[in-house]
Amino acid sequence: MSAQNFSDIGRRDSERHLLAAVDESENSRRAVLYLADFFGDYRDVFITLLSIVAEPSEDYFATEGERAEWLSDKRTTMDKKLAEYREILLGAGFTPTQIDVRLVIRPCTSIADAILEEQDKLRCCIVAVGRRGLSHNAEFILGSTSSKILHHAKHCAVLVVE
Amino acid sequence: MASADILSRNDIIDLITAYAGSERVPPKFKIITDTSDFYRVDYNDVVLLADTAFWVKRCEKEGRFGIDEQPKYWVRRAIDLQTGATKILKLVFHEKFDTKIGDIVIKCFRSPKKEARLLDLVAGHDQFMHGTWTLDSAGNIIRILDFIYGRTFDQLLDELGNDHHDYFHNHFPKLLTHYRELVRAIKFLHDHGEKHGDIRRDHIILDRERQIYRWIDFDYNYMHGESMFGFDLHGLGNILIFLVGRGDILTHDLYHQQRPLFDSLWGEDLNISYKNRVANLEKIFPYIPASLNRVLLHFSQGAKIFYETTDQMLADLAIAQDDVATVTGRTS
Repeated sequence: MSAQNFSDIGRRDSERHLLAAVDESENSRRAVLYLADFFGDYRDVFITLLSIVAEPSEDYFATEGERAEWLSDKRTTMDKKLAEYREILLGAGFTPTQIDVRLVIRPCTSIADAILEEQDKLRCCIVAVGRRGLSHNAEFILGSTSSKILHHAKHCAVLVVE
Repeated sequence: MASADILSRNDIIDLITAYAGSERVPPKFKIITDTSDFYRVDYNDVVLLADTAFWVKRCEKEGRFGIDEQPKYWVRRAIDLQTGATKILKLVFHEKFDTKIGDIVIKCFRSPKKEARLLDLVAGHDQFMHGTWTLDSAGNIIRILDFIYGRTFDQLLDELGNDHHDYFHNHFPKLLTHYRELVRAIKFLHDHGEKHGDIRRDHIILDRERQIYRWIDFDYNYMHGESMFGFDLHGLGNILIFLVGRGDILTHDLYHQQRPLFDSLWGEDLNISYKNRVANLEKIFPYIPASLNRVLLHFSQGAKIFYETTDQMLADLAIAQDDVATVTGRTS
């Protein structure tokens, strides 16, 4: 488990804890807008904005410097994006204490598995994701994160925002 | 100790003389220990790696993107002057590029590190090329590959059978056995968390000496999506379609030469990535068993489910092989 503080998990158990798994895409933004619109007036809802960034394998980088630069750029981009999503929620009526932001950069073979790991760890009752609307061909070759979450999620509801 | 400290120019001349005779010692050649600029490595130069001298010969070539015989300047055929064995030296070439398959773009990259790692992993596995790797004086990962004499999968197919019926009944059962071995080899990689990265029919060579099919060229990698092995599986599917059809069955050819067959095809019968190729080959060759055709349909536009692992594919192929034996009377 990462060094992040999970001390308030017990408190969140009594709340409706949503995990919004997001990335830089427009469909993630749509998912956040949907959650903002739907849950903005609820005071007992807690949202964790989670972004999992899959760290490319060491093969991808010619040098360690290139790898460090990639990670730094990615962190900057996602921090900015998560701040933007947080503002959307705040603008819809969420209070700062209702929102947590979590960026995880890690090697992973499956983003869906990593999201579900976080869901399990944080004990969220709903996982919300956007859907890219992949073509048939792309779904075969790339795989679909939202489909995998739909099929493999346990002990939670799954909200897929088109 | 640097290689140059071990072997002097005169030592190298002696080695070339011993290997090829004094008349073939080039009047001028460079001794290279740093291969960073691979364009500097010319024909007849000697690359010194650790304590071994490699006498460099021609560039290897590869057909790709419809352009045949593209020279790969970083891949050189060379003679190990200590043993006389022909080797392939793969020098470091970092490359990142996008591959487009139908409507999707895959980020691909070439990685010497990955290929070196895989060479260690597959040492002793019959279905892969073999070799070692070492660092040159600048720290570049140089792969030293055993040369495989033989032809690629696609070159072999044309000669098998007088027509498809003959091919399918007399040659295909054995090829399917080999193909399953090749898929099992890819499973071996996947089970170790590795991808092949560039699964193509011209990356399979029939080793002339040992009469086994072997995967070559695994320095490619790709940025995977949710399905880590999807691109590899896509490659395996395309090879199988090619194998069952005795080449790609193109809609264009059917339109001009076998119009009734063309008219019988629906969009869902076509290859999921290449819409000019037929995947539902049972419509073209009705003697193909349904179980084999079902495997092909996983790679068609009409596919409702996809293979996520080689295990799933291998399970279906085992059933298909039994049914092919029933139809053809041949088990291999």
